[in-house]
Amino acid sequence: MVADTWYLFNKYLKISLRTPLWSLFNLIQPLIWLVIFGQLFRNMAQLPGFPADSYMDFFVPGVLIMTVLFGSSWSGVSLLREITAGSIDKMLVAPISRISIVLSRVLHSAVQVMIQALIILIVAALIGTDIQFDLIPLIGGLLVIFLLGVGFASLSNGFAIILQREEPLVVVGNLMTLPLMFFSTAMVPENFMPQWISFIASINPINYAVEGVRGTMIGPLDTGYFFQGLIVVFIFAAAALTWAVHAFNGLRD
Amino acid sequence: MRRVIRASENRTNIMIQVEKLLKIFPSGHKAVNELSLQVEQGEILALLGPNGAGKTTTIRVLSTLAGFDDGKVHVAGHDIDRAPDKVRESIGLVAQQTGVDFLLTGRENLSLQGQLYHMPKAEIQQRIDELADYFELTDALDQQVMTYSGGMRRKLDIATALIHKPKVIFLDEPTLGLDIKSRKSLWRYIEKLNIELGLTILLTTHYLEEADNLSHRVAIINNGSICAVDTPEALKNGIGGDALTLTFSQKDSATQRFSEALEQQGHAQRLLWEGNRLHLYVDHGASSVPKIAALAAEENVDIAELSLARPSLDDVFLQFTGTSMEDTGEEEGEEWWHQWAGKGGGGKWQKKWQNQDWQDSESGETDESSKGEWQDKQQAWSSQDASTTASNQATEQSTESTKENTHWEQDNWDKNQSSDWQKWQQKGENESPGGDTLEQKNKTHDWQKWQDKNKQD
Repeated sequence: MVADTWYLFNKYLKISLRTPLWSLFNLIQPLIWLVIFGQLFRNMAQLPGFPADSYMDFFVPGVLIMTVLFGSSWSGVSLLREITAGSIDKMLVAPISRISIVLSRVLHSAVQVMIQALIILIVAALIGTDIQFDLIPLIGGLLVIFLLGVGFASLSNGFAIILQREEPLVVVGNLMTLPLMFFSTAMVPENFMPQWISFIASINPINYAVEGVRGTMIGPLDTGYFFQGLIVVFIFAAAALTWAVHAFNGLRD
Repeated sequence: MRRVIRASENRTNIMIQVEKLLKIFPSGHKAVNELSLQVEQGEILALLGPNGAGKTTTIRVLSTLAGFDDGKVHVAGHDIDRAPDKVRESIGLVAQQTGVDFLLTGRENLSLQGQLYHMPKAEIQQRIDELADYFELTDALDQQVMTYSGGMRRKLDIATALIHKPKVIFLDEPTLGLDIKSRKSLWRYIEKLNIELGLTILLTTHYLEEADNLSHRVAIINNGSICAVDTPEALKNGIGGDALTLTFSQKDSATQRFSEALEQQGHAQRLLWEGNRLHLYVDHGASSVPKIAALAAEENVDIAELSLARPSLDDVFLQFTGTSMEDTGEEEGEEWWHQWAGKGGGGKWQKKWQNQDWQDSESGETDESSKGEWQDKQQAWSSQDASTTASNQATEQSTESTKENTHWEQDNWDKNQSSDWQKWQQKGENESPGGDTLEQKNKTHDWQKWQDKNKQD
């Protein structure tokens, strides 16, 4: 299974490397958000009770997580395309583990968003955000990003199989990303939220991912938030992956 | 009318054994209905039938891609249900959709496939060289598949299916969308594979010529079951004599009287109406024509066109199914959606939706009728889709008989042109799924569902 996953992962990697522009395309939206929201909400940092020195310091983890969501939520679209093209049939007719097909897609998507997040991080540092480039916290933060990517790519693949068409998948993808972003501390600190939103945030895995990344990459290190985020994201990724594999196995009756 | 195939007790040389295979789609449609089939080692068997006859579904079941509801299937000596991985190791599949990755090179595609069959690296290298040489792809091997022509893609697709030296290969419409030259060249490759390597080949086709030229035996499939299996020659000889086709400007009481007179006076062994065409099977064509012409004059019937030929597989098809191959068209790719919709998450989801959302909310009688209505609508929807392509084909499906060889060529060529065009259209859809046609199709579908659902409430 490991070998099969590796071969297929390599295939997807090769394809991404041959269409680098496509991968970079996904960066445009987070970059725009980084600039516009960073400017728009700049003065929020002057409000009493704001937890960071500047709004950018607060907002960058949110943009990183946003990059993950935008990047990995479309993994299912390419699955549908591969089903249409017959590539998936070619894999299914080979004596390989069915799990490796889903796993390779999901891992590829997660690695891709991890690289995209790194690029955003560098851009953020260039425009003056206070970013910790210490190795261990950085790896920790990337781990959270990677696991969140696995989770959302799995959800996207699972929904692709259940919905079978691209249009509803796009709708679901949008529903998964934007509202969940607003129901987290990506843009607004928790003490500024109305109570009901704060309640939803407390059961939103994205919220924990944002806090986890905030705890490691930006400002002072906070291991408590990091481990909390890591555990939540790990459970989320494991559950989503199991579900996606289950949905995929359903393909043969 | 099922012909019994040599009932062999010796299973060692039987490569594919299918007994009473049943596959029901979630819609309740029996895609494969008690299909039985035996293919011997080293044999090329063609499943000949119109689109929607169950060819692709059969292939998908035999190649472990789809499950089935009842029956027994053994491929290369392994039970497909108990040992699917053993079956997978011994088969190669060339599906209708070219499964090769366009952004990878030919070599990368082949080597990935070798890796998926867990072959050692050196062996993969050696096989790639062999296959590239065999299919004359060596020069293009390190170019991306994007740059390949349709024929080259097909050849590469077949090569990837052969990398692990399978015993059986399934070819689903192998020459669909190829021009006549590529098609004939592909036939030679397929024949060579069979002769040199002793490969057992099960292919599906809706081209009569392909079944006739390429296969040792032809199985005629219609509505999910097999009507006849034999060598093409035996099938044609079974009809006997010559095939005579009369075309009238319209079918009316005069032509009806004429056909009855023909029957009474014993001019034809068998007589079959198909629209305004009358098919006659006579012992000796040359001597029958004048008699028939005389009778037509006597009855005051105008024969618009008359053609005389040896019976073709189309006549065989006509005999077993009552319709001509030419007239039983359905949109290509339509079957594909059924395949996937009939399975997995989507299938279950659809089933649930059908069962709960409306059957529960409806009471007895109205339920049945509205369900029927819904199915009719769905059919209308699919035929609407088909109509665009059908109108393309309508021009070629002229009253012209395709029995003579010269006509064959021309006709086929035209068809290729048009199926190329269809292919291209489909490809366009695949590559840019936001494209108009697919989007429209989905929209219609969605809308229809929505509308139907509303009706229930």
